[in-house]
Amino acid sequence: MTRLGQIFLGLILIFLYTPIVVLMAMGFNESELYELPFKFSTRWYSALSTNTELLTSGFNSIVLAVITAVVATSIGTLAALALSRRTFRGRNLLQLLLLPPIAIPWLITGTAMLIFFFWTGIGRGMHALIIGHVALAVPYVVLVVGTGMKSVRADLEEAAMSLGSTPIHAFFAITLPLLFPSILGAALFAFAVSLDQFVISYFLSSPGYTTLPVQIYSAIRKGFTPEINAISTLLLLGSMTAILIFARFAKPGAPK
Amino acid sequence: MTTVSVQNVAKSFGTIPVLHDIDAVFPQGTFTSLLGPSGSGKTTLLRIIAGFVAPDQGEVTIGEKDVTGIPVWGRNIGMMFQSYALFPHMTVARNVAFGLERRGIKGAEAQKAVAEALDMVHLSDFGDRMPKNLSGGQQQRVALARAMVIKPSVLLLDEPLSALDRRLRQEMQVELLRIQRQTGLTTIFVTHDQEEALTLSDRIAILDKGRIVQSGAPEDIYENPQTRFAAEFLGDSNFLTGVVEAGGVRLPDGTLIQTTATLHANGQKATLAIRPEKMSPTPLEGATNHVAAKILTVIYAGPALSYLLQTPDGTRLKLFQANRDGTLMREGDSITLHWSPAHSIPVQN
Amino acid sequence: MPNKATPQRASKGARILPQWVSTTALLLPAYGWLTIAVFLPLLTMFLFSFMNKTPMGKAPIEFTLRHYRAFIDQPYLIKIATNTLLMGLWTTLACAILGFLAALALVRCTHGARRETLLILILLPFWTNGLVRVFSWTMVLRENGFLDNIWHWIAPAAGSIAILYSREAIVIGLVHGYLPYMILTCYIALVTIDDAIIEAAQSLGARWWVILTKILIPLAAPGLISGAVLTFVPVIGSFMEPRILGGKVGVTMGTVIEDQFTQAFNWPLGASLSFTLLAVTMAIFATFSGVLRRGTGGTA
Repeated sequence: MTRLGQIFLGLILIFLYTPIVVLMAMGFNESELYELPFKFSTRWYSALSTNTELLTSGFNSIVLAVITAVVATSIGTLAALALSRRTFRGRNLLQLLLLPPIAIPWLITGTAMLIFFFWTGIGRGMHALIIGHVALAVPYVVLVVGTGMKSVRADLEEAAMSLGSTPIHAFFAITLPLLFPSILGAALFAFAVSLDQFVISYFLSSPGYTTLPVQIYSAIRKGFTPEINAISTLLLLGSMTAILIFARFAKPGAPK
Repeated sequence: MTTVSVQNVAKSFGTIPVLHDIDAVFPQGTFTSLLGPSGSGKTTLLRIIAGFVAPDQGEVTIGEKDVTGIPVWGRNIGMMFQSYALFPHMTVARNVAFGLERRGIKGAEAQKAVAEALDMVHLSDFGDRMPKNLSGGQQQRVALARAMVIKPSVLLLDEPLSALDRRLRQEMQVELLRIQRQTGLTTIFVTHDQEEALTLSDRIAILDKGRIVQSGAPEDIYENPQTRFAAEFLGDSNFLTGVVEAGGVRLPDGTLIQTTATLHANGQKATLAIRPEKMSPTPLEGATNHVAAKILTVIYAGPALSYLLQTPDGTRLKLFQANRDGTLMREGDSITLHWSPAHSIPVQN
Repeated sequence: MPNKATPQRASKGARILPQWVSTTALLLPAYGWLTIAVFLPLLTMFLFSFMNKTPMGKAPIEFTLRHYRAFIDQPYLIKIATNTLLMGLWTTLACAILGFLAALALVRCTHGARRETLLILILLPFWTNGLVRVFSWTMVLRENGFLDNIWHWIAPAAGSIAILYSREAIVIGLVHGYLPYMILTCYIALVTIDDAIIEAAQSLGARWWVILTKILIPLAAPGLISGAVLTFVPVIGSFMEPRILGGKVGVTMGTVIEDQFTQAFNWPLGASLSFTLLAVTMAIFATFSGVLRRGTGGTA
């Protein structure tokens, strides 16, 4: 019985990783038309290094992910502090309001943003993408930092105050150092959320400013070469690294 | 002189009243326990004195100073928490030095004070350890050193021993008392453990439903409880209820129970509290009160024997005896209980 | 002890300002941002869904309920909606069966560090780019792709088994996307079941199928349900997966909505269809809100 279970888990892993491995391998295959047998070549990575369209959008994606991580982590951490340390009316409602950006299909959120940004004159492009990505990342930051706050007991701050700390000093001397791993974890999480985001970006990017996933999508739709495999491989490795580092700082498996 | 006093303090959380009109004085150098069950308001009272909670009305003074409007960090208190509340990212020495730094004491002077404080709690060699590498008892000693090193005006203890096991708790009780006596610090100790309160305190204040129902020296409260609640919460008690008649209380079955205390006017209802260890199954000189009862259960606990009894009219009674010669009465035996009128204490219901 | 019951555990912060001021200051940036980026847009979309046409140029806008009658006026939408729901059901069903069994295997057949590694390996793809993973399936499923090549190697005489551009391909891609999440929610539910419960059942003479149907599945139900909801909802709103893996057969509510915004430029119709989808989503969440709150271990 144990053997059977392990074999089943092996099959699940094969199912999960086969396409990813095939995708990565095809980036190293000579044939432009993905023809087999496999013949090793790095020509697609060389080609990639001169493909300004893909490189620019990749650069855009990284910049966007960094901005998203910084902004979402800052404002999300503040909200998490209030939600976990203060009691006030409407706190449960505010916690509930974190769910729509996570739970509503991105297609709906994305098209709603498109309408609203168009209607108010905010428009599309980098600033619109920042607004959208931060909004998607903030709830995760609040959840991750809020979980971290649970491990920083309120009586530590009280102990500091009984010894003469003002609330602000207690926060910087006690709470912040203890919370730091959670905040770093939340930032990595926000980075990954932004880097992997396609649907929202698809509706909010402008012809002059696209992200890598949007560029990959239009390539898939219009015709593509294994260069796409090469850049996809880099993207996958990037977010896998971010998540593995995150897993070291916080527990893996937060709800998506 | 740092006498702490609380005048006319009341507090509600939302619509729920937690404390009503509390007046209390904690004289210089005394060790006072706030004793009460969960929800009695004892922790809230301590947190009002500390400054974590602002009272809705009333005043708190520490020494000569009215501190009602002063926040926690300006009150110069030492506090110990149930969870120790050591800063997990700092060494033991830095934990102890934290309050000194806040007072601008640094360098050699601070080091000396920290060393003295750690020496006082017998942890001289532990300064470089992290809190997580200490046992529960050691952590609590560090917390004590941290609270004492700043030379606070008052030491506030929020059930600091309740997380320790029994043996360690007794050790810490002795330690706490030694240090408190040595420093002569006014100390206020919140607990729900009556034994702990009796062992440690000069004075006990019993709280029930947001009021101080009785306060005084432990032996005064134990020997002369004023309410049924105080009699039951501090120690164990038997209660007999009847009608006042001729300087005694007439029970429903006709027995007249005598007491040396003054009672209400004749014809009014009255309840008498009698400590179970003050009763005897054998006649004693001066024990002029008698009640017949039948033994329901015998509880053998080594040095002490407890009997659960029932009188003919159904009242349940307890009897405690020292195990002098190893002979036990049996379940089902009918006996007569004897006690002195001085041990019948009238209490309010 | 009493302070556990007291709602105001936090100290009365700085005395200079009342506490609500600092609380508001802490909350305002995040919730202001969410208001501008999510809540106002959803409201605006609701408003747009009643307009007779996209408000461009000078032509006056009239308000109409016409777009909410689309399912009656354009019967082909009913067929698309049915297909979308079927796609959601098949994906959810496949995820539930595979996910429950995989979680069971994790809990009963693995231990310690090995189990932790397996969990991370299973969850890792979930956090990588969904678009790239869908794209990767085209390499596997296409004619003369990876699967086809293996098949030809096993059975050289047989025909092609390429299934790219079919409903099956879409479901495979979606299952690949959401299976890790289902495994996680089932795992969280199953891992809390005490071994003693199963041993007790065995000692009472229960066979494995009785243990499975009377103990494991009922106790894992919260995990199964929350996994199912959080699979079904995004699947019926998907548009990129059907486009890439379904080609011409990949017409779903998601692609129809996308078309209104990017091709047909009929934003009010897109908005009303989006809102209908949102209503379905909300109804599903409302129905299972109790289970979701317990099943995923709360929200904050």
